[in-house]
Amino acid sequence: MSRFDRQSFLGADSEIKLNRATLGLVGLGGGGSHIVQQTAHLGIGGYVLVDPDHITETNTNRLVGGRLSDIAKEAKKVVIAERQIRGLMEKPRVVPVTDSWHKATADLKSCDIIVGSLDSFIQREQLERFARRHLIPYIDIGMDVHDLGGGEFLIAGQVVLSMPGGPCLRCAGLITDERVAAEANRYGAAGGRPQVVWSNGVLASAAVGIVVQLLTPWFGKPPQFIYLDYDGNRGTVTPNERMNLYEGRTCKHHPSEETGDPFFDIRKFVRRRAIPPRKEAKNGGFNLFGRIRAGRVFGKASIRRERG
Amino acid sequence: MKIHFKIRRDLLREVRRDLARPHSFAAERVGFMAAGFSSTADELAVLARGYRGVSDEDYLPDHSVGAMMGPEAIRKAVQWATSEGVGMFHVHAHHGRGHPRFSGVDLREQAKFVPNFFEYAPQCAHGALVLSDVFAYGHIWLGDDRPYDVVTRFVEVGVPLKEWSAL
Repeated sequence: MSRFDRQSFLGADSEIKLNRATLGLVGLGGGGSHIVQQTAHLGIGGYVLVDPDHITETNTNRLVGGRLSDIAKEAKKVVIAERQIRGLMEKPRVVPVTDSWHKATADLKSCDIIVGSLDSFIQREQLERFARRHLIPYIDIGMDVHDLGGGEFLIAGQVVLSMPGGPCLRCAGLITDERVAAEANRYGAAGGRPQVVWSNGVLASAAVGIVVQLLTPWFGKPPQFIYLDYDGNRGTVTPNERMNLYEGRTCKHHPSEETGDPFFDIRKFVRRRAIPPRKEAKNGGFNLFGRIRAGRVFGKASIRRERG
Repeated sequence: MKIHFKIRRDLLREVRRDLARPHSFAAERVGFMAAGFSSTADELAVLARGYRGVSDEDYLPDHSVGAMMGPEAIRKAVQWATSEGVGMFHVHAHHGRGHPRFSGVDLREQAKFVPNFFEYAPQCAHGALVLSDVFAYGHIWLGDDRPYDVVTRFVEVGVPLKEWSAL
């Protein structure tokens, strides 16, 4: 009998796959705290938890795992998240980062999946770009409350799976130059945006479903591009029309040439790790261009194929 | 040290499709994959960027081997490595569904030409890959003054993620 018996339909090796996986969770407020709780229940073993903030009284309407006693202690959200995980997992691998995600890149780049629950469009786009640079699937969740006038409001949100090479948040129309410019113009004066626990929970649950699809899918041919719209007034989560339209398309905003750390240098990597050099003579003096210029046959290379 | 090779599923499919095409006289096709890199304290990640198959006219007739690249094929790969500052990985395929390995000829020829990429893109690692229809296996040189290392883990980035250990 295992605590995971009821989710065994995810596959015979799903427990191992989930335990081996490492999630980067950026933003541990209303949305992120739900994701922490659910993924710990699922048995995901590794976490890079990133959030610079501590809990405040206004967080307690939605921050899952937060307690009133945490407020006076100004408990960091990553501490609350880690407490949630350790309450459900025996030996989790947790890297807590109480800083901006920009200071967590060394840990985030070794994650299998990154989930962002950030308010800022600028930050969301930067995090997505970072994930793509390292060929890491990025799941973005966002929620907003729109004033319809006359005392009525619309709760809306979305969950997007941004796969390296596939449609991105700009392709999805979520990130636009206008939104980025508007956000930059009101920098420092944003204030607290309306957030409620149940809609955060719906969006987080949809995101966790995508995490599981990525790690141990329970049905064949899951979509490669996911864009789900949440309408909190109708109580629906539906595929955005761009989801089918863009399935299989490539992204023009994040070219493959951006893949990898632009400042990487293997010589520094080797020196830093003090990998001893080989004792033999350097490569036997083979000079590729020299041989090609000389027009000799050594510039070619053969690959043996077993014939017959 | 752990060395991971990550590649988008669509790119890997493109590579397999290209390598499976018949050639007028060569028994198999070969190509080059460009890669960027990132590292953590104990891991090196090779991040595939793109693929270019060796052009039809850049094969040399030699029936003693499956495929013989001419100097122009390697010159183009060197040009790619130099102009974009990328790691260069020679790729070919052994069809079937098993875990592929290099042949003796593969090993001998790689040792001759792969380390020479360091002369043109010394900031990158370079190597060679062999694909089956399902898996891949690879060697990587971290410098031209050391032997190759084995790529320890492959990750195929798609939905779902697929990974396998090469050891």
